[in-house]
Amino acid sequence: MKRILAALVLLAGTCAGPAAAQELTGRFLLETHDGQRVTDASFAGRVRLMAFGYTFCPDICPTTLSTLSSALDLLGPQAADVVPIFVTVDPKRDTREHLKEYVSAFGPAFIGLTGTPEMTDAAAKAFKVRYVLHPPMKDDPDTYLVDHSAGIFIMDRDGRFAAKLGHMATAGDVAERLAQVLHDQGKPR
Amino acid sequence: MRRRAFLMAAAGTALARPSRAARVAQGLFVHDSPRPVPPLDIRDNRGQPAGFDSFRGRPALVNLWASWCLPCVAELPALDRLKPRIEAEGGRVVALCLDRSGAASAVNTFARLGIVNLEIHVDFERKAGEVLAVPVLPVSLLLNARGDEVARFVGPAEWDGPQALALMRALIAGHPLTPEMAPPLVKPTAAP
Repeated sequence: MKRILAALVLLAGTCAGPAAAQELTGRFLLETHDGQRVTDASFAGRVRLMAFGYTFCPDICPTTLSTLSSALDLLGPQAADVVPIFVTVDPKRDTREHLKEYVSAFGPAFIGLTGTPEMTDAAAKAFKVRYVLHPPMKDDPDTYLVDHSAGIFIMDRDGRFAAKLGHMATAGDVAERLAQVLHDQGKPR
Repeated sequence: MRRRAFLMAAAGTALARPSRAARVAQGLFVHDSPRPVPPLDIRDNRGQPAGFDSFRGRPALVNLWASWCLPCVAELPALDRLKPRIEAEGGRVVALCLDRSGAASAVNTFARLGIVNLEIHVDFERKAGEVLAVPVLPVSLLLNARGDEVARFVGPAEWDGPQALALMRALIAGHPLTPEMAPPLVKPTAAP
């Protein structure tokens, strides 16, 4: 069992190696759900647990943020060193007010980030997240679907890419990776 | 079922590229054989246990929802209308709330929507999504009288229509379910 674990850790290490880190800059300039302008540097010293998506899911909603909030619960007191961040790729409909209400459902620590379409685009590119806003349905310009590549990002205390987990990852998986990143970097400087 | 799932998956891949996660196959999925449902800590609005055990013996529709999920909230009134009709015939309709804030949030949503028949059920340890392998909401599980999952409906459905009634009657009678019995998916509209 130990050997399998070691192999898995090695494998995970290869995936999250320096090559991937160079490609994924993780830089952004966005606005919080409270209207504060922030960059990736604004969260320096804390590990960031990030997901991209949109709150206006008219047909079906991913449970990714529930997973993140359960992962933080599993982490216990260490969760204080982690900032859970949700970045919308649909800033037109995800207004600050809406975003604030949405993220609050997952816990008080959650921060919703939005911006102009240009800011959102740049942030998505920095994380290699692709998304498509589909043409509106019927006669309502505000009814449209959004497709986006999913995934859960863990950025370390310095804002560098540490790990990416699939959207099917369990809360236990996420908590384990978070604990690993927190452990590797020790206390905040 | 296999064929349908394959066709849906094929349709999914044919769509625009960045579509991996958001493009989830929706509709009725009938399992090849009934699947046991793992134990879950489900409570009512007084914090009392109200889990699957409490309604075993009666075929059930267990709808998983959350207040932050628009299509979930939108289909609750239809489930509220379905409940008395189905329960008079020996079935059960249960709406299981996955909200972090639990019962308070479920009570508020029910009040806002004027829900009169559905009871409060909350996923007390917030494990339902993971334990039941539900990565998207809403999802409705169809359980037989033994409490095993025979099928699930992924996405919002017209739960108060004739097809849903027929589907629930087949479930109550213990007849095999088929994909053709699926109630129609509810088309996305503006916020409810």
